[in-house]
Amino acid sequence: MPGDLIYLDNAATTYPKPRPVLDRMIDIYGRQGVSPGRGSYDLAVEAEELAGAARSKLARFFKCPDPDRVIFAGNATDALNLVIQGLIRPGDHVVSTRLEHNSVLRPLYHLRQQGRIDYDLASFDGQGFIDPAEIGRLIRADTRMVIVNHASNVLGTVQPVAEIGRVCADRGVPLIIDAAQSAGVIPIDMSAWQVGAVAFTGHKSLFGPSGIGGLAVSPELEIQITRFGGTGIDSHSLTHTPTFPHRLEAGTLNLLGVIGLSLGLDFLEAEGIEVIHRREMELLARLRDGLAGLPGIRLYGVEDLSRHVGLMMVNVEGIDPEDVGAILDADFDIAVRVGLHCAPLVHESLGTAPRGGVRFSLGPFNRVEEIDRTIAAMRLIAESGKRSGKPR
Amino acid sequence: MDEIEESKPLSGLPTRKARVIGGREIDFDGEGFFRNADDWSAEIAEMLARESGLADLVETHWRVIRFMRDYYANYGRAPMNRHLKEGIGMSLMEIEGLFPGGIRAGARRLAGLPNPKACM
Repeated sequence: MPGDLIYLDNAATTYPKPRPVLDRMIDIYGRQGVSPGRGSYDLAVEAEELAGAARSKLARFFKCPDPDRVIFAGNATDALNLVIQGLIRPGDHVVSTRLEHNSVLRPLYHLRQQGRIDYDLASFDGQGFIDPAEIGRLIRADTRMVIVNHASNVLGTVQPVAEIGRVCADRGVPLIIDAAQSAGVIPIDMSAWQVGAVAFTGHKSLFGPSGIGGLAVSPELEIQITRFGGTGIDSHSLTHTPTFPHRLEAGTLNLLGVIGLSLGLDFLEAEGIEVIHRREMELLARLRDGLAGLPGIRLYGVEDLSRHVGLMMVNVEGIDPEDVGAILDADFDIAVRVGLHCAPLVHESLGTAPRGGVRFSLGPFNRVEEIDRTIAAMRLIAESGKRSGKPR
Repeated sequence: MDEIEESKPLSGLPTRKARVIGGREIDFDGEGFFRNADDWSAEIAEMLARESGLADLVETHWRVIRFMRDYYANYGRAPMNRHLKEGIGMSLMEIEGLFPGGIRAGARRLAGLPNPKACM
């Protein structure tokens, strides 16, 4: 990591990645980086076994009963597109929430603009939580799926997915969860929670490289094929392979990413998901408490940290969030994410659109002294904003 | 029904605003940034500064504006945060305080640099 940089943009991607993950990933790929499942020579078989082992590991991680129903994709957005496009039929209705990232909002909006679907979005309360009962009220006879952001990438609030799962199961509607921010910090049990599919990314709290993510699909959920091509099997047929996992994977796998993701899971298991989450939440509480008393700083969605991941958003009176980010970067060596965080409706609901806010997202490598330096920096920035008397 | 308007900021700001200044029609975006950096002139910068509540652009302001413009001319993009700090010899917090609109909507806008395409 360059110099004394304090990296607080872990919700975008964890940084740095654990060095053992990177080193072993390169080493294994260097030795076994051939096309998995495409050849009969031993090395190709071994490469396919690497991918299979990663599927099994991910299936255990998400409590997905069938490892073959763990699909590799480019990232969570890619996985969400796979499931959304693969489930909807013309005339369907979808229920989602105003907490969603554009990875959900944009596909839904696109489909509605094409006249193919309609949707309704559940609002969140003043603390950033969705009421499962509201999801139930929005479900209609023609609702094809419910999609919920498990942990908000703006507020950090964790939604009651188990309760929402019960509501959806009672109505016979599959629940899809976007676990981009939760996978790796909140244990996910898709079987117990009656979740139809979990979309995840590898490069955040699973410690893999960017470019790998996926979808864990319940055995009860059938997803139509929307991408077609080579799968390495049934090559005589011009029909795409209908069986999982090939059903939803076309073309050569990102084996380097799969290896990295698998090693990231090993790292996570060794560290302990609860240990990492507890450490991040202790730091978040320290940051919240330190910022809460500063003049001119407004905090969002951090009253109840018992249902939270390690991120929070603030604004500074009198200073544009983008300028706060630039000052933190240049004057204090602190990297944060500013703006709308690709989740415009969250900001619209909070009244922070169009300029958004300043997001601090913590990771497993942050330390107490970094949080204290961040609070000290924000104190100086807030005081300068108050002195300027500029409206925000 | 929730709507996400395409090509329209959430604020509802127009994406283009033309103004006639000194007999010339100048294109600005909805936040008052020049749409064409070549339309910039010192006189227009002074006028925009007055509109923003800054009665006079003094030498310190011009140091910031000149550095930003020179950097943009040389590299085709706005200076990175650390380059701005090192190039001007001031902290970004000081630069923020110099302009009523701060760094982005103040210094950068008056320097005629385009509105940054951040996650907004």
